[in-house]
Amino acid sequence: MTMFAPLAGIWMPSPQDLRLFGAELSLVAAIVALLVLSMLFGRSERLGAGVALAAAVAVIFFCRDAAGLVDTGARAALTPPGAASMLVADRFTVFFKLLLALFLATIIWLWMTGAAAGRTGGEVRPVPAGPEFFVLLLTSMLGMSLMVATPNLLVMMIAVETASLPSYMLAASDRRSRAGAEAALKYVLFGATTAAVMAYGLSLLFGLFGTLDLPAIAAAVSVKGMPALGWIAMAAFLVGVAFKISAVPLHFWCPDVFEGAPVEVATWLSVASKAAGLGLLLRIVAAFGGDVPATIALPLAWGVGLVAAATCTLGNLAALRQESVKRMLAYSSIAHAGYMMMAAAIPPAAAGDATVRPAMAAIVSYLFVYLLMNLGAFGVTAMVAWSQGSDRLAAFTGLGRRAPWLAVPMSICLFSLVGLPPLAGFAAKWWLLAALGQGADRHSWLWWLVFVAVINTAVSLYYYVRVIRQMFLADDERLERLAVPVGGLALANGCAVLLLLLGTVAFGLMRDRSLAYAACLARAAPESVVAAQDRLAWNGGPEGMVVNGADRP
Amino acid sequence: MEHGNLLNLLIFLPAVGAVLCLIVPGTRTVKVVATATTALVMLLSLGLFRHFAWWGRGDGWQEAVFGGTYGERLYEVTRLDWIRLDGTTIQYFVGIDGLSFPLVILTTLITFLACLASWNIESWKVGRGVRGYFALFLLLETGMIGVFCALDFFLFYVFWEVMLLPMYFLIGVWGGPRREYAAIKFFLYTLAGSVLMLVVLLAFHFYSPVRTFDLIEMAVNDRIAAVFNAETTSFLGWKFATAMFVFLFIGFAIKIPVFPFHTWLPDAHVEAPTPISMILAGILLKMGAYGLLRISYPILPAAAEHFAYALAVLGVINILYGALCAMAQTDFKRLVAYSSISHMGYVLLGIAIMTAAGLQGAMFQVIAHGISSPMCFFLVGVLYDRAHHREIDRFGGLWLSMPVYGSLATLGFFASLGLPGLCGFIGEFWVLVATFSAPFAWARPMAVLAAVGVVLTAGYILWMLQRVYLGPARPEYESFPEVTGREVFILTPMAVLAVALGILPQQTLFNFMNGTLEQICELYGDGVSMMASVAGMCLGR
Repeated sequence: MTMFAPLAGIWMPSPQDLRLFGAELSLVAAIVALLVLSMLFGRSERLGAGVALAAAVAVIFFCRDAAGLVDTGARAALTPPGAASMLVADRFTVFFKLLLALFLATIIWLWMTGAAAGRTGGEVRPVPAGPEFFVLLLTSMLGMSLMVATPNLLVMMIAVETASLPSYMLAASDRRSRAGAEAALKYVLFGATTAAVMAYGLSLLFGLFGTLDLPAIAAAVSVKGMPALGWIAMAAFLVGVAFKISAVPLHFWCPDVFEGAPVEVATWLSVASKAAGLGLLLRIVAAFGGDVPATIALPLAWGVGLVAAATCTLGNLAALRQESVKRMLAYSSIAHAGYMMMAAAIPPAAAGDATVRPAMAAIVSYLFVYLLMNLGAFGVTAMVAWSQGSDRLAAFTGLGRRAPWLAVPMSICLFSLVGLPPLAGFAAKWWLLAALGQGADRHSWLWWLVFVAVINTAVSLYYYVRVIRQMFLADDERLERLAVPVGGLALANGCAVLLLLLGTVAFGLMRDRSLAYAACLARAAPESVVAAQDRLAWNGGPEGMVVNGADRP
Repeated sequence: MEHGNLLNLLIFLPAVGAVLCLIVPGTRTVKVVATATTALVMLLSLGLFRHFAWWGRGDGWQEAVFGGTYGERLYEVTRLDWIRLDGTTIQYFVGIDGLSFPLVILTTLITFLACLASWNIESWKVGRGVRGYFALFLLLETGMIGVFCALDFFLFYVFWEVMLLPMYFLIGVWGGPRREYAAIKFFLYTLAGSVLMLVVLLAFHFYSPVRTFDLIEMAVNDRIAAVFNAETTSFLGWKFATAMFVFLFIGFAIKIPVFPFHTWLPDAHVEAPTPISMILAGILLKMGAYGLLRISYPILPAAAEHFAYALAVLGVINILYGALCAMAQTDFKRLVAYSSISHMGYVLLGIAIMTAAGLQGAMFQVIAHGISSPMCFFLVGVLYDRAHHREIDRFGGLWLSMPVYGSLATLGFFASLGLPGLCGFIGEFWVLVATFSAPFAWARPMAVLAAVGVVLTAGYILWMLQRVYLGPARPEYESFPEVTGREVFILTPMAVLAVALGILPQQTLFNFMNGTLEQICELYGDGVSMMASVAGMCLGR
């Protein structure tokens, strides 16, 4: 196995390389610590939450550190000598890790709120149990962090599996719930099948190109063209990515899992899983930019665009008639994944062109806003479900009177999900559409995606407003006021305030920040293509292509 | 371009008032705060007169109002960079000219009156918070004034949407029996239109050779006009200007509302509480016409000319269809709602023919209808508060039991009817005369058809007056209390304006807006616009 030769040898990453990946390492350390500590001190939920929180803080710390290193122009990749990079660290991966860490912290917050409510309120609710929950959460986060940070197909595959396996168990973490068990089973079956298809595509790609390094494959393709089998292999590989994004037609697991799983898990999967999948998709699409001829880059973009349009349309249409709010939010998350995928459909232009960055910045800002909106909406749904024992639409009746401090932030989150100004959801959608419009300068078919997006926006209003209608327009005097845990109030209102700020005064600030985070991937991708071409030339072109360190003299 | 901060105050003072409404104690205090805010905004808005009125500028007022080209004479301008976008910035850019000035005044006045009309909110029997109502009401005012003041397309869009949320709740929570249906229908219709506007917003930005969102710049910059109106500029295979004009028109037509996009209006009007109906009819409908005049026509004159016939036909359909529908109604409020559709048809017709006189007539009709229709809705509301039904056929002889109310009602409905000497007459007459003399072959038949609308209007209003106010007094209504002081106070300004606009159209309105309207006409180019204005012919200017 020449592939592993560099690792079996004496090569060790330098301390600086390790600092770049301190976030991943601290996650691994936290996972091990959790397992060991719970063996030593017994199953303490508080301990689990504490360690997980510490891991989130460490990830944020290391990400800031890595961001500084990346900016000073340090070699931003974990590269065995002579081989292609296995992991890269650029501002784009830093963003995803920061996003995931922030999200992890809020999920822990939500979990603690729920646990406190379960204890004090006296009502039994399915709290995912202590250390296991956090171990699985951290493991899936590790997988997601790796997903966005690698140009290597094999590492991508491993990362996807690392993210997926704990997610299956998380979905079933309420052991008494039949719905949860059913959801987890569906999730596993779907996941296993798509993983098999993905592995098949991977093996075909390796057979065709003799390398697993994505930029090298892109370089080979740009010289030699894409064989028909290559298209099949690419499509098969992308099936695994589409599963993580829950893109149509691989979205069927999503509503069942979100409805059956505990709220914390559903919230986690709704944002984190899709974010990681989108990051991975973006990296693949960006790799096929640069010098890759349009005959290859364009069909890829069309394919992504078509799936994106189908995803947001079907997601929205299916959401229209849902009675369970969690299930409605699940379909809404499918729709939003569709919107975000549209940005990935913008064909990357030649190296140094400005069109990639707006697309990536759009996804970066959309993901951040989407996190806030979904967190708020799921959070309020959780509070309602905990006190009412149901997440049906009927449970929200009269919430405007019974718990105004839940109903108002919920409305803000929902209107933001629609994309109405002056809320952040509009800002996010605006940057997305602006990126599409800018891309349409060269590819006018992107205007069709703009149409699909705006018409879907109008359609989506209907189902989000159904919840608002139930909260404010319907009321039943017999229903009493709701007791809401303070932590939940803080979470929901915090999200709402941020959404208001990001939609108005911080509208431009968010843009600047997201452009900064999108900067490096756009720069890094063409560079690595150039590097791969150097190696190709050195190896005598794609015919004799063995891009691997061990084969070099 | 004169800088100033008055508009910022007008836009954001209601928002501050909305926050105050949420925190002050006691329902009565909330009402006082809300009313004080709207009153203050109205009084402040009167300060805008100093830019347009002869008493504000002395001898220089004619130059100030009529001089320059489109966009040169802007007042109370604030320009701040808001969002950086590649190659340009999205600005917080507000200012007024003769087009927006009367509308801002109308907005502040009608909002103030509608706020007073909300004082009996307890008697609506919806049992919902007073606090929320007035907070949303004030938020709505922020959105409305913002729409009329924004000169940046992006900012315009934001205010346009900001208006939707409060309106949804105001109809949906405090409305009549079918309020939920009416509210969501209003919301979906308007949003469907405005997302098309969003596409235009993006397309304007990315097609323009000068990256800008400035509505004035887009209208007057020759390079932009050359690209936008060129035959060769294509958008997904359509001609660019044509496609953009259609998208914008759908968005604005829903608001006006133009047949066949009008079906939300009768529902929303009938279900909304009286003050909200006043605002819907008096201000929100005007935004469609304003949008056409501020965005579609100055920026895409070629497409406007291309569609002139279609728009004129739609305008005439509106006039006739709305009038015929009004005639068939048994619900008093529904009748007034359909009469709004009919009256807004004149506005569309006046805009469609693309002459200065047509624009003047359309804008006059906008303002006149903005005064008469809230008055009519309030008159219906006064009656509903007492009778708790709105069946026209169950009323009769009300003039006998409520003489003051009956007199004011007659005045209001006659203003709506277009009786000479009252405001409705001038607008309709101007539009009809302008259509008659418009440089299109189809213009005269259109004018004839539209004139039929005047007869129909007289028909349904007189018939309604006869059934409700005249005839023998009915015993069940004899004990009705006469209009209260508050109600008279609300009706008086509208009644006075209805008379004033009817008698002194030049001094009350034309002097303020004709300059800008003629400048817009000049943007149309050589084709159709070089028509002498009827105002000029009639009044020697």
